[in-house]
Amino acid sequence: MKDNKPMDGAEYITLEDAKRLKLPYFEGLAAGFPSPAGDYQHESLDLNEKFVHHPEASYFVRIRGESMVGLGLFDGDICLADRSEEISDGNIVVAFVNGGLTVKTLDTSTKDQGYLRLMPANPDFKPIIIDANDQFIIQGKVTSVHRDTRKY
Amino acid sequence: MYAIIDCDNCYVSCERVFRPDLNGKPVVVLSNNDGCVVARSNEAKALGIKAGLPYYQLKERFPNNEITVFSSNYELYGDITDRVMSLVRKAAPTFYRYSIDEGFCDLSGMDSFPAAFHSSLKKWGEDLTAYIWKATRMPVSIGIASTKTLAKMASHYAKKYKGYNHCCFIETDEQRIKALEKYEIEEVWGIGRRYAARLQALGIKTALDFASHADTWVRATLNNVVAIRTWKELNGIDCIPMEDMSKRKSICTSRSFPGMVTDMDALRTSISNFAARCAEKLRKQESVAQTVSVFIDTNHFREDLPQYWNMAEERLLTPTNSTQQIVQTATRCTERIFRQGYHYKRAGVIVMGISPAGSIQTNFIDYDAERHEKMKRLDEALDKINREYGSETIVLGSQQYTKPGGKGKADVFKDSIKHDFRSPCYTTRWSDIPEAT
Repeated sequence: MKDNKPMDGAEYITLEDAKRLKLPYFEGLAAGFPSPAGDYQHESLDLNEKFVHHPEASYFVRIRGESMVGLGLFDGDICLADRSEEISDGNIVVAFVNGGLTVKTLDTSTKDQGYLRLMPANPDFKPIIIDANDQFIIQGKVTSVHRDTRKY
Repeated sequence: MYAIIDCDNCYVSCERVFRPDLNGKPVVVLSNNDGCVVARSNEAKALGIKAGLPYYQLKERFPNNEITVFSSNYELYGDITDRVMSLVRKAAPTFYRYSIDEGFCDLSGMDSFPAAFHSSLKKWGEDLTAYIWKATRMPVSIGIASTKTLAKMASHYAKKYKGYNHCCFIETDEQRIKALEKYEIEEVWGIGRRYAARLQALGIKTALDFASHADTWVRATLNNVVAIRTWKELNGIDCIPMEDMSKRKSICTSRSFPGMVTDMDALRTSISNFAARCAEKLRKQESVAQTVSVFIDTNHFREDLPQYWNMAEERLLTPTNSTQQIVQTATRCTERIFRQGYHYKRAGVIVMGISPAGSIQTNFIDYDAERHEKMKRLDEALDKINREYGSETIVLGSQQYTKPGGKGKADVFKDSIKHDFRSPCYTTRWSDIPEAT
């Protein structure tokens, strides 16, 4: 147990424990007499349940810049990335490329020519070409995007 | 049948989760306060860096940043290992987490499955390690055997030899004997280094030497409960109950101070924080403690200064996990042992006599149901707020430092710990989530 001192002072929130937004699916009636709809009440809806399919494999990434605006990913948006999802051509992925993180659409159509392309969704940006000399590690598939729209 | 799951070089691997560029490179993690090396990647081990090496010596030996150094980031390690353990929990009938980076599965539910399934336990383990790596980027090893002690041994083999594909299954008796033969006695789980020396003096060098002694010899010669239990376990007789391992017997929160502490107020405040942390840990594992103990110590390397060490403990009438009660008790202990005129370097709080929270045996003189309920609700609220808004958002008055002009008092406690190379809390703080262009 040389490397493993007992855990000291770790506080953490797992995605499962994380604060959940519960939207009331059914408004209860005022107290006083039993609600005739009582038998039909459901659990409130839970955003985690809807969007976090694999909590252990998921993490949040903040989008910086304008390269993906064409797909609705804006500067400051928070994406959910899932490492356990299978990755295939056309997926929006988080990738570690030569020391930095990027979110792009994966294009494997040029695989036979010995390279891959990471496609932006903005004509002002060029595709990133990935060949054998690049450090390229896929860090998950982007599964949803979240934005506070109160500012509009 | 048992499986043990063990994270490989846990802290270093956690640091690599969001830094995949560090895979294959030497990485170390420093202790609290950046004092010395507590975790090393295989590459760092290969460079001859030993655990416990003081950071300043590491800097001297590798002045050109050849090694990536991190301060400990327990918030990150806690979250990443929680993910790993949660996946294991979903994959096995019964699971007990043993420490931050290892846990046991009781696979006995699986024993009743058809033989074909049984023989595929190795594949179960291999698939699980592969999935955990994919989902969390944590490399883990799995050992499977008929007893926990043998499973632990198997996990060592899984870690050591690539050929096992991260999972070693000691299935047949022949495999068991072979594994014991190559295993040094001091590496056996449950045999401490001191006890190993005693066994070595009796001519026992490997686990097999030990296990092949007769039952009568072990009883007559050793007469030690743990040794007899270990002997049985090595011979395939399952005798360590899960309950003995699922909860820690004592919890310690201690720190070296960045500078030295001379006044009672500062020391008492630090100790209040350590005590609060212990209470929080107790509640997290749904336990209560009977005894609170405090130690204080001066800096032994400063031979020019007078030295003092002392310890005090107090046994509570009713076991508790209440922050308020544990802090008060620890404060009383501190007041008993504090002496003016010394430079204190290290202090800590240990809570002992831990039992499940559900079964509090109430002492009828001391037990006040109403007060107990109130404190419980207060602690629940405290935990909830500190979980949602970050640790130490709300603290007791006694946990606050009274430095004049000090801002956000709880921060002073955190800021007083040195962590120059701390990585972001990628998964537990909105301000720290990774950014992508």
